[in-house]
Amino acid sequence: MSIVDLTSMGEPQAELRREINERLSKLRDEISDYCFQCAKCTSGCEAHKLLELEPHKVVALLKRGLIDELVNSDVIWTCMSCFKCKERCPQRVAPVDILFSLKNLAVLSGKEIPGKYTAMLQSVLSIGLIQDVQSVTTHDGKTKKREELGLPAISKPTGTGKFQTVLSKIAMEKV
Amino acid sequence: MPTEQYAYEISLREILPLLDVELVDIEGFSCCGEPMKSVNQLMTLYLSARNLAIGEKHKLDMFAPCAMCHLALSECKYVLDSNPEMKKRINEMLASEDLNYHGDKGIVHTVDLLHDHIDIEAIKQHVKKPLKGLKIATHYGCHLIRPSEIGRPVHSENPQKIEEILKALGAETAPYAQKLDCCGAPLLANLPESALTKTGQKLKAIQEQGFVALVDVCPWCHKMFDSKQVKAGETVAAKLDIPVLYLTQLIGLAFGLKREKLGLELNLSPVGKLEF
Repeated sequence: MSIVDLTSMGEPQAELRREINERLSKLRDEISDYCFQCAKCTSGCEAHKLLELEPHKVVALLKRGLIDELVNSDVIWTCMSCFKCKERCPQRVAPVDILFSLKNLAVLSGKEIPGKYTAMLQSVLSIGLIQDVQSVTTHDGKTKKREELGLPAISKPTGTGKFQTVLSKIAMEKV
Repeated sequence: MPTEQYAYEISLREILPLLDVELVDIEGFSCCGEPMKSVNQLMTLYLSARNLAIGEKHKLDMFAPCAMCHLALSECKYVLDSNPEMKKRINEMLASEDLNYHGDKGIVHTVDLLHDHIDIEAIKQHVKKPLKGLKIATHYGCHLIRPSEIGRPVHSENPQKIEEILKALGAETAPYAQKLDCCGAPLLANLPESALTKTGQKLKAIQEQGFVALVDVCPWCHKMFDSKQVKAGETVAAKLDIPVLYLTQLIGLAFGLKREKLGLELNLSPVGKLEF
């Protein structure tokens, strides 16, 4: 079962669409109306300096209902989740939270999950961790295992069956 | 925390017992979920709640040395404690593993554990080899300082707790314009080149301003600044050679502990040139 299957499996498109729209209407009504486009978020945005993300424009687009355009845009994946916009917004709009929801919706809509997110998700779904590194490399290129360094075994979910069931269900649920 | 940052773990396990902190290893934890937030926020919430519930089962407060884990757990606590409906929904999911989230235990990070719970004076008493003459830049990590709405261990715009600890160790520090800049790690999953550019820009600025080392308290930030320093330098056309250490490693050095006890062989930045 691929991740795309997991996230879109057996869900009629109409139902999916309804859930997505509800979520975004909520965001639009509850949050973006307060934004008066002062752009304080963009002035401090870590991704703006490098990748031209403009959080105040994301809020403006959401306000105008251009949700599909946002969900299909690569720019939502440039957010570094530094939370400066949320911290500094005088109206408590939190563009970073809007961006998290837009990315979630992009995944739900069956859009390809970018970069290593797919591998990390697959790893979390199967072992509960994003990776399972058992050894590291030293400054002079030697490999050292955890036990050689005197470290205990890595804590991970035991009896993973029940855990996996819940996680897979969440992967298919709406956000 | 990312299970490859062993230097942090080794140095924590070395210094905390000296400061009368007992660490208890608990089986069954999963990822905190924060790396999955862009994909599915409900999954993040569930994974964090599950970890908190396991801690509660053992009647222990949670120690999260990673800023990202600390954020996920703190946000989870904030959401579940203020939203009974969500708490009920999450607890229904947790029930299959016989877990339940109550919200009656605390969450601490390395910085507040050292600064608030252990206290600077107690740290000072253990210093045997002061870090004299070292001018060290601090990096807190975005996830440790923001968003203050959910409660963070340090101030969001002018964090000073690491500076205070460094002074207690005998080191010097100074404010610099890029102190609150991101390390770049959150983009590692999908835009690695940009992530490294972020890292390089900050390290270059630190190097140019005459700091002899950088101290951090997050395995993700450290992975960028230390493990990927050479690559980061290439993205900003600079030769970077600045030692990057975990705060816990610096504390261990000031306590007079041997370098190998603090996992310094695992730092890939030039920590060998640090002399005091």
